[in-house]
Amino acid sequence: MKKKILVVEDEESLRLLYKEELEAEGYEILTAGNGREAIQQLETGKPDLILLDIVMPVMDGMEALGRIVGKERKIPIILNTSYSGYQQDFMSWAADAYVTKSDDLTELKKKIRELLRKGKAR
Amino acid sequence: MVLAGGRGERLYPLTRDRAKPAVPFGAIYRIIDFTLSNCLHSGIRHIYALTQYKSISLNRHIQLGWNILSPPLGEFIEAVPAQQRIDEHWYQGTADAIFQNIYTLQEERPDLVLILSGDHIYKMDYRKMIAFHLERESDLTVAAIRMDRNLSREFGVIEADRDWRMIGFQEKPEEPKTIPGDPGGIMASMGIYIFNTELLVRRLIEDARSESSHDFGKDIIPGMIGKDQVFVFDFRKGDFGGTGYWRDVGTIDAYYEANMDLIAVTPQLNLYDPQWPILTYQPPSPPAKTVWIEERRVGTALNSIISNGCIISGGNVKRSILSPRVTVHSFVEIEDSILLEGIDVGRNAKIKRTIIDKEVQIPPGMEIGYHLDEDAKRFTVTDSGIVVVPKGIRL
Repeated sequence: MKKKILVVEDEESLRLLYKEELEAEGYEILTAGNGREAIQQLETGKPDLILLDIVMPVMDGMEALGRIVGKERKIPIILNTSYSGYQQDFMSWAADAYVTKSDDLTELKKKIRELLRKGKAR
Repeated sequence: MVLAGGRGERLYPLTRDRAKPAVPFGAIYRIIDFTLSNCLHSGIRHIYALTQYKSISLNRHIQLGWNILSPPLGEFIEAVPAQQRIDEHWYQGTADAIFQNIYTLQEERPDLVLILSGDHIYKMDYRKMIAFHLERESDLTVAAIRMDRNLSREFGVIEADRDWRMIGFQEKPEEPKTIPGDPGGIMASMGIYIFNTELLVRRLIEDARSESSHDFGKDIIPGMIGKDQVFVFDFRKGDFGGTGYWRDVGTIDAYYEANMDLIAVTPQLNLYDPQWPILTYQPPSPPAKTVWIEERRVGTALNSIISNGCIISGGNVKRSILSPRVTVHSFVEIEDSILLEGIDVGRNAKIKRTIIDKEVQIPPGMEIGYHLDEDAKRFTVTDSGIVVVPKGIRL
C-alpha cells in the first residue's frame, strides 16, 4: 500500500511541486490549502504523515499543529516553512521535524522516509 | 500555574455549584485563597489559575478578591478557562491541563514554572523551594511532606537518596516505600512542582504524543527519574509558621476537621499572623454582635469563630464557625457546626455537627444533627455523622 502524505500549503504552485515530486517518490498525496482544510483531510483522508506550512490564511500551521496533535497523537508531522524563527515557539516542538523551505527537496524527502520508517515501528 | 479545575466529587454537596478551590473555608476564605496568598507572599505575581468545571463562582471570587496586583508592572492573577484550542475535551490529567495552555506559556516564556494545586490548605514560602531548585541545578523539584504509611493510597510516594535526589515515585501505591529509619512514614508529594520551562514543554509534548493518562504523578515524574535532574524539596524548609500544617480537604469529614482545627486555642494554621495574612474577598459587612442578656435569654458564642455581619440574638453558639451574615435567633443551640454565609436560624432550632451551605433559612424549632436517620432522608450524612445541608435548600 502506498503511504499517504497530506501536504498543507497555501501557495498553489508549491502545492503542485510537492505533489509531483512526492508522487514520483511513490507516495499518494492529499492536499490542503490551510490549517482548517488540513483538519478536515485528517478525518476523511487518514494520512500517514503531514507536511505542514506555517504562514497560511484561515488557520495557520502552528494553530493547526496543536489541533492535529489533539486529535491524532501519533501522526508524524513535518513543519515546512521559509522562516526558521518559528523554532522558538513551544508548539513547534510538537512537530517531528522542522525543515526550512528550499528549492532542493533532498532533505525533505529524507526526513519523510525516516519518519515513515519510524512510524511503521510504532 | 494553579490547577483549579478539581471537581471535588467527595465534597458533594459543597461542590454542587462550585469547583473545589472555590469551596468556602475558615469562615471567610475560599480554599484557593491559601495557595494564592502563598504566591503573593513569595513574590510570585504572574499567576494563571486554570479552571474548567463550574468555574463561575471561582472566577467571580478571583475577580472580586484578587484584583489587587498591578498590570502596569506586568503583574497578574488570571483565571483561565479551558481554551479547547488543542483538544475539544476537558483536561484529561494534570499534565494535560498545562499542555493545553502551552500557548499561554509561550506568551509568558518564564525561566521556571511553578505548578500548584488550588485545593490545599497550608502556608508555604515558595522562594525557599525556588532557591533550592536553582542551587541544585534541578530540572524538576517536587515538594514533599511526611505522611503516615497507611495513607499511601491517597498520595504520590517519593523515594529519595541522601542528597534529596529523587530515585523513585509510586502513584498511590498499596505497598509504599517508607522513609529510611521511619517504617511508619512515607514522603508524600504535595502536588507542588518547579520545572525549568523548556524541559517542561519538551516532556509535556512527549507525553501528549504518546499513550498516557497525561498526569504528572502517573506519567511525567516517573518518566523523568534517572533521565533528568529531579530533586525533592522538604516542606519543613518552606513551611511558614513551622507547624507542618498541610491539608488536602478532599472529603466532607476532612473538610469538617480542618475547619474545626481553627477553633483550637492555638491552631496549627495561624490565621492571625500579621506576617502572613490570608487574603480573600469580603463584601462590606457590619461588625458581628450579640444581643440579649436576660435571665432565660442570653446571646453567647463560646470557642467559636464569628464573622462580620453575624447577629447572635438570644441564642447559644458553641465550638462553631459562622461565616458572614448568619443570624441566630433566641433559644437556638448551635454546637460543633459550620454555618456558611447568609443563614438564618429560627427560634428554638437545634443544630449539632452540621455543615450548612449558603443562604438557608432554618425554620423555628427544627433539629438537625440529633436524629441522623431522619437527617439522612433529606441531607448528606457522612460515615462519621456529619450532616450537610445544601446551599439554598427550602425547608
